[in-house]
Amino acid sequence: MSEAVSDVVHPVRLTTSDRVTLTIDVPDGTSVVDAAAATGYVLPGQCHAGTCGSCHAAATGAYRLGPHSAAALPDAAAAAGQVLLCRTYPTGPVEVTAPYARSRILDGRPGRREGVVTDVVRVAAQMVWVQIALESDDETGAGYQFDPGQFVEVQVPGDERRRAYSLVNTGNWNGTAELLVKLHPGGYFSGYLTDLLDRWPVAADDGARLVLHGPTGAFGLRESGRRPRWFVAGGTGLAPVLSLLRRMAEWGEPHPVRLFLGVPTPADLPRLPVLAELATTLPTLRLAVCVEHPDDGWTGAVGNPLAALEAAVAEHTGTAPDVYVCGPPGLVDAVAAVAAPAGLPPVVAERVLPT
Amino acid sequence: MFCYQCEQTDRTGATPGCAVLRGTCGKDETTADLQDVLVHVLKGVGQYATRARALGAGDDDATRFVMSAMFATLTNVNFTATRFVELVEEAVAVRDRVRAAYEAAARRCGQEPEALTGPAVFAPAADTDQMVAQAADRGILVGLPLVGPDVVGARALNLYGLKGVCAYAHHAEVLGQTSDEVFGGVERALDYLAGDPTDLDGLLGHALGLGRLNLKVLELLDAAHTQTFGHPVPTQVRTTPKAGKAICVSGHDLRDLASLLEATAGSGINVYTHGEVLPAHSYPELAKYPHLVGNYGGAWQDQQQDFAAFPGAIVMTSNCIIEPQASYRQRIFTTGPVGWPGLRHLEHGAWGPAIAAAQALPGFSQDGPDARITIGFGRSAVLGVAGDVIDAVKSGAIKHFFLIGGCDGAAPGRSYYTQLAESAPADTAILTLGCAKYRINGLDLGTVAGLPRLLDIGQCNDTFSAVQIALALAEAFDCEVDDLPLSLMLSWFEQKAAAVLLSLLALGLTGIRLGPTLPAFLTPALVDVLVDKFQIAPVGDPQADLAAALA
Repeated sequence: MSEAVSDVVHPVRLTTSDRVTLTIDVPDGTSVVDAAAATGYVLPGQCHAGTCGSCHAAATGAYRLGPHSAAALPDAAAAAGQVLLCRTYPTGPVEVTAPYARSRILDGRPGRREGVVTDVVRVAAQMVWVQIALESDDETGAGYQFDPGQFVEVQVPGDERRRAYSLVNTGNWNGTAELLVKLHPGGYFSGYLTDLLDRWPVAADDGARLVLHGPTGAFGLRESGRRPRWFVAGGTGLAPVLSLLRRMAEWGEPHPVRLFLGVPTPADLPRLPVLAELATTLPTLRLAVCVEHPDDGWTGAVGNPLAALEAAVAEHTGTAPDVYVCGPPGLVDAVAAVAAPAGLPPVVAERVLPT
Repeated sequence: MFCYQCEQTDRTGATPGCAVLRGTCGKDETTADLQDVLVHVLKGVGQYATRARALGAGDDDATRFVMSAMFATLTNVNFTATRFVELVEEAVAVRDRVRAAYEAAARRCGQEPEALTGPAVFAPAADTDQMVAQAADRGILVGLPLVGPDVVGARALNLYGLKGVCAYAHHAEVLGQTSDEVFGGVERALDYLAGDPTDLDGLLGHALGLGRLNLKVLELLDAAHTQTFGHPVPTQVRTTPKAGKAICVSGHDLRDLASLLEATAGSGINVYTHGEVLPAHSYPELAKYPHLVGNYGGAWQDQQQDFAAFPGAIVMTSNCIIEPQASYRQRIFTTGPVGWPGLRHLEHGAWGPAIAAAQALPGFSQDGPDARITIGFGRSAVLGVAGDVIDAVKSGAIKHFFLIGGCDGAAPGRSYYTQLAESAPADTAILTLGCAKYRINGLDLGTVAGLPRLLDIGQCNDTFSAVQIALALAEAFDCEVDDLPLSLMLSWFEQKAAAVLLSLLALGLTGIRLGPTLPAFLTPALVDVLVDKFQIAPVGDPQADLAAALA
């Protein structure tokens, strides 16, 4: 028996950042994300519930927006034609401008891989680094490949709940996934990880197995000539940025790089060897760590990364940088508000929201 | 952005050409504009290099760089804006070096160095945005309101032909085959174009000169291939998978293939050719590797489906790359002039990441059914049986030859070539050259006079071989090539094909059929000239064209 789908369909033309246009017929009452999936296009998205902001785009035409979080899409943005495609229900023809390239739209279904946690380390007061060894897969082989900046949905076998985390490492041929997870008191996956930390090391069959769905996501490097690349990260927003920086280091990319990393207190600064290694593996990197509430021992910059970015933008001469930001919606909006008046290209953004 | 250098350029508007934010090939505006700036600086290199070489101060390395940089601007080669910013900067450094050498040489000879203008003194902006903006008055349409579309089109014919010359010269150069004549010819052509020539007859004459230069280049390339890998011999090539780990090599570059075969020897990885690398199987020094197991997939325009289904690593060594799909982006690698944003680029010989990928990927789980095609009818093989061929023509057993050469592509009109081959009478033979063969090489056309009716000469890079076959037959029959029972049906797509067309015209060949469409840069007036002088005709109805050829 076929599903009951409205006979009325609305044409949606979706144009990607690299100017590829896809036409999706969206049945009345169906979201753009769901209709695209039925057509064979898996658009970047994560919560499918209007709360994570990862399917953010711009639209014109006839549509209504379903219930969504104001953090993911503020009213003013919605009024200005911004949408969340998982909550966009066309009522007539719609033109969508997506902020990502065609290559970020998967054809078919997102992947599923199983693996075992091989290491788990508390790297800051409320932050955990997790390493997972994925099992070889008949279709994709032994490696784990993804575009830097993408995320996965993590699931504990036997439990349907999924939580989305950015990958911290880069695609590789030995099947390794690394995650950086912020611990939320009472959080579901936080509880799982805290338990794992308490018992570590544990055997593979003693609760260390995980399922990774994806990878997906639109956050990634923009190829626009040898522009400086400036990254602003707050908290675990560092995770996808690390992936981008590690990719640049591996490939020897020549762009001048700055990273403005903000943490609330010195205890929140992640003790990650890869961050230290980037000083040598990515010689074009300048790192600015900004601590909002320093303690007596802190000798570095005080304040938030936004102020550091503002100062850098004011001082900058030469080719305008591409600015990348990953963090809470407030930080993303604030960075965009700094970049736009300075005439910088549109900010490449990933909003981090608790799921 | 404005670009109309390839066959698939946007023809939906009043004026043909890709002038939108993204070309039909997938090239974005920034990359297209940076390519225009690069070509402009390379013309400046040519201005100084021409004068330096005339004074005995030639800089071969400078022109090696020029050839590879020009190659990067061909259709479906390099789409990476960052790479073009770097190439512009390298080109400026090369231009400064050649300028210094020229000025020193002039002074040594007691001359005051010329104060050159135009591209010689153009200063690309340090700021990427401004560099992109500089393309606005340095692209192919520069001067259009002043000189009109015919002159602009004739300049384009020269520039695009020169790009093809440079690409072939680069292929020969990496295998050690160069000559002063070719270096000097490339430099002089750039110097000529730097002057924004306006004389239409002069431009057309120059284009034929480029055709002659290209014949020299193709001769070098033939020597590069045959001296390095031996003469092609008729060979049955497997077209289905063998169980095991796999690497697929696409593009044209046989040196890269040889290096990869050496690097994977004994590793258990099977190597497949793709597209224009297919003729590799007929070269003894490549065929000797037992792990060169077959050819995979169809012509370049099918690569998104073919590569998605390939369970191993893919290496692109030259054109034609099209936008890699998400499913294989992480396992396709570029080398040489090729590039695509977000793909791993490997320097020649540094194949480690591709080999690691092939080892980790599943590979083919089982053998496919044995299926094969026959290739390897280069000049040595064909002229080895020249006596039989000549006898067959004299006895009337073979009434006519068709050479179907050039590129394949996605245009529906390219089915013309399949229909032509299918409809050609049984007493004709069909020679193929270039990836246009993929329209035909699955057909069973049988034999004529004891020879296969379908004879594949090789890559488009092997045009010299085809020319030698034609010249030898003409000599045997004591006639001109034009008088042979031979029809040339060319299928063009990009700038290598433009260079080959100019070479054939330079040889005085007439009556070439060109398809699936005529180049957009050839205005009606330019087409008229080519029709008048060379009786070039667009392909038409296959049956009618066959009848006309056989009349």
